Amino acid sequence: MKHEEVRTLLGEWVDGELGAAEAAAVSAHAASCADCGADAARLRRLGAVLFRAAAPADPRATEAFVARVMGRVEADAVSPWERFAGRWLAPGFALALAGLVAAVWLPSADRFDLPLDAQLVADGRGALPSYEGVFEVAP
Amino acid sequence: MGEPRDEDLARRAAGGDDAAFAELVRRHAPRVRALCEATLGGPAEADDAAQETFLKAHRSLGRFDGRSAFATWLHRIAVNHCLDVLRAASRRRSESLDALLEADGAALGLALSEESPAKALEARDTAERLLARLNPEQRLALTLRETEGLSYEEIADAMSCSLDSVKARLRRARAELLEAARHFSDVRDV
Ligand SMILES: [Zn+2]
Repeated sequence: MKHEEVRTLLGEWVDGELGAAEAAAVSAHAASCADCGADAARLRRLGAVLFRAAAPADPRATEAFVARVMGRVEADAVSPWERFAGRWLAPGFALALAGLVAAVWLPSADRFDLPLDAQLVADGRGALPSYEGVFEVAP
Repeated sequence: MGEPRDEDLARRAAGGDDAAFAELVRRHAPRVRALCEATLGGPAEADDAAQETFLKAHRSLGRFDGRSAFATWLHRIAVNHCLDVLRAASRRRSESLDALLEADGAALGLALSEESPAKALEARDTAERLLARLNPEQRLALTLRETEGLSYEEIADAMSCSLDSVKARLRRARAELLEAARHFSDVRDV
């Protein structure tokens, strides 16, 4: 194998990603070519020189991290009202409330802009009012 | 019985079980944080990025279909987030940083040519400036290879790219770094 070709394969060789035949050819060349031998040695050191080994995870630091993430998960996207409704309202009550909200709110709304669920509720044709639909149209 | 599998926890978390999600964070935080720190350098940036990774994962739980392991799926989210952060940083970077500081190249050249076992450059600024010369994709491929020891196929999977792209990214990253080191060691050898 020629010097120029070997140079492009040195990294893959060091990483153990070459097939047996190519690896043998690169190995033979690197043993007899000072430049390629030295570059292979540099490539083997590169990772350890540029990256610090990660410190072992400290369980207390991990717990603090879990708490930070969960604090943000709680605050993320879900409105307090939605969380309240999802967790504490009995499903039947939620449905009744949704129907009430729809009945009070919908007559004044432009019905063509409403999601299908809400239109069905408003038309009285839907099997069950979906409170998600109501939340979507609520301001 | 034993511990619940990640994939079962993920299903419970998708259904709103916060305790199940907290357990997933607990299990995977060390690896995600280590990846973010190796990729982004500073511990504060790494912490932010790791938090964002888990928030993105939480928002996407409904799309986790269990076809790959949860760890693989989460790792891909972390890799993508790190790429976003690196891309934003490289857009902000000023021209002046593109000029390699002579001292950085010399320090790298010396560290690479010593006979003693390789250890990380003491000056983290130096390592950071050297790594900052790589484009985000090259830098991330190198980080995954050198810090996590991933195979080329695993890197391709994590970065959603071809095996040839992985080879090209690693080759360019290493050529750039060796070039920086060589320039100064050659001068010294003369
Ligand atoms: Zn050669």
